[in-house]
Amino acid sequence: MIIDIFLSSYPLFLKATWLTVQLTAVALMLGCVVGLVIAFFRISDSKALNYIAHTYITVIRGTPLIVQICILYFGLANMVTLSQFWAGAIALAVHNGAYIAEIFRGSIQSIDRGQMEASRSLGMSYPLAMRRIILPQAFRRAIPSLGNQFIIGLKDSSLVAYVGMQDLWGTGLGEAASNYKQLETYMVVGLYYLVLIMIFSYFVNKLEARLAKGEAPNKQAKDNTSVAA
Amino acid sequence: MKKRAKWSGILLSTVLMGSLLLSACGSQESAPAAGGQASGDGGKKDFTYAMSGVYKPFSFKENGQLTGFDVEIGQALAEKMGMNAVPITNPFETIIPGLDAKKYDAVIGSLTVTPERQKAVLFTNPYYRSGSQIFVQEGNTTIKSKEDLKGKKIGVVKASNYLDWAKKLTDEDKITQYDSDITALLDLPTGRLDAVITDQVVGLRFIKEGGGKVIDVGEPLSFDEQAIAVRLGDQEAVERINKALDEIVKDGTYEKISQKWFGRNILQKQ
Repeated sequence: MIIDIFLSSYPLFLKATWLTVQLTAVALMLGCVVGLVIAFFRISDSKALNYIAHTYITVIRGTPLIVQICILYFGLANMVTLSQFWAGAIALAVHNGAYIAEIFRGSIQSIDRGQMEASRSLGMSYPLAMRRIILPQAFRRAIPSLGNQFIIGLKDSSLVAYVGMQDLWGTGLGEAASNYKQLETYMVVGLYYLVLIMIFSYFVNKLEARLAKGEAPNKQAKDNTSVAA
Repeated sequence: MKKRAKWSGILLSTVLMGSLLLSACGSQESAPAAGGQASGDGGKKDFTYAMSGVYKPFSFKENGQLTGFDVEIGQALAEKMGMNAVPITNPFETIIPGLDAKKYDAVIGSLTVTPERQKAVLFTNPYYRSGSQIFVQEGNTTIKSKEDLKGKKIGVVKASNYLDWAKKLTDEDKITQYDSDITALLDLPTGRLDAVITDQVVGLRFIKEGGGKVIDVGEPLSFDEQAIAVRLGDQEAVERINKALDEIVKDGTYEKISQKWFGRNILQKQ
């Protein structure tokens, strides 16, 4: 029974859940940093930076995460020796970074160009205008897609079981192989992921609601139409 | 343009600082990894050895603890070598690549000695002997020996020597490869498979513990020697492990572990 499996294995799965949470949190934080940098490269005037960002996104988005994890953990072992945790975290960060970069780029470019021009004409420098005027608005627009990407990232983290990590999925596989009960064990694992993601979604919704305060949605929608992304 | 360069400079340094910070706070909690380093436990060197962890009763998890015959043999060997035993799990099909990639010092994961594998790793003396066995669903009357397997759907674990057997006995497109022998056995009653080839002991344990309605069929296909693998060129490790293996066989430790798990000595030829 599912209940039995749940009750007998919860200390184990809670530990695994914690590992999954740590791994995903570290990976997505790094992924946001990578994403922001790549997004700036993409919208910059420099041809070289454009090219780097473009190549990065093409290559990373065009290859499966599992291949990237295995290259990092097994393939590059003669150059860098990474622990399972860091191989998994970096691969996830690099992978998610490519998607997050496009989310950031999209939301930055969705801000009316006139806002930058206005800020500059007030004497703000480009970085200052970016930081104070453009990014806060862009960030708000990025939240729904970002939340979506984080949920995908959390679920994708299950692939690190492939290099032998005892995250939620890895633990589930091991348990099923020793209690001979696949259906129940896998369903218990699914339940843990579901609960994690429901908790996360709750906070994203909260954040979105908080940031939306004082915002006039209709006007914003009108502004958007004038931007050719 | 100048300003923009400065901006990206600031960003880049934030990135670097951020990742440094993260790696600093994260490293303490990272999972067990690469082998060969001295650590913990009175400065003893770690002896890291890999297994699949999904191969009951040789290696499996019990309340989150890795246990089984392979684990205990590794512990006994490490003790004799004056090292600190660190068993770790890796998916079976990546277990030799992982050894190559220096993720651990040895494989104590029920690796069958085959000429093919001898090109990739160095083997110690065998640490147990067992047979490759065919298993089918209870009530199956059409498969009575290996000859009956022609054209039948066979399940085996990826990259195992049982896969080679399956290739010999049926058509290549009738073979299903699994991550774990246990998963393959669990797929027998679903009808997706006609037979599973795996280690005798693994299957018999599965039957005994009521994993599913499964029976063994015919004589074992072969008697295999299972040995510990180390990286090519690491002759010194082979000798060190062989010496420790001899010692645990002589002083009765081996016998004790084998009796505990199987009720007999599985190093002796049957």
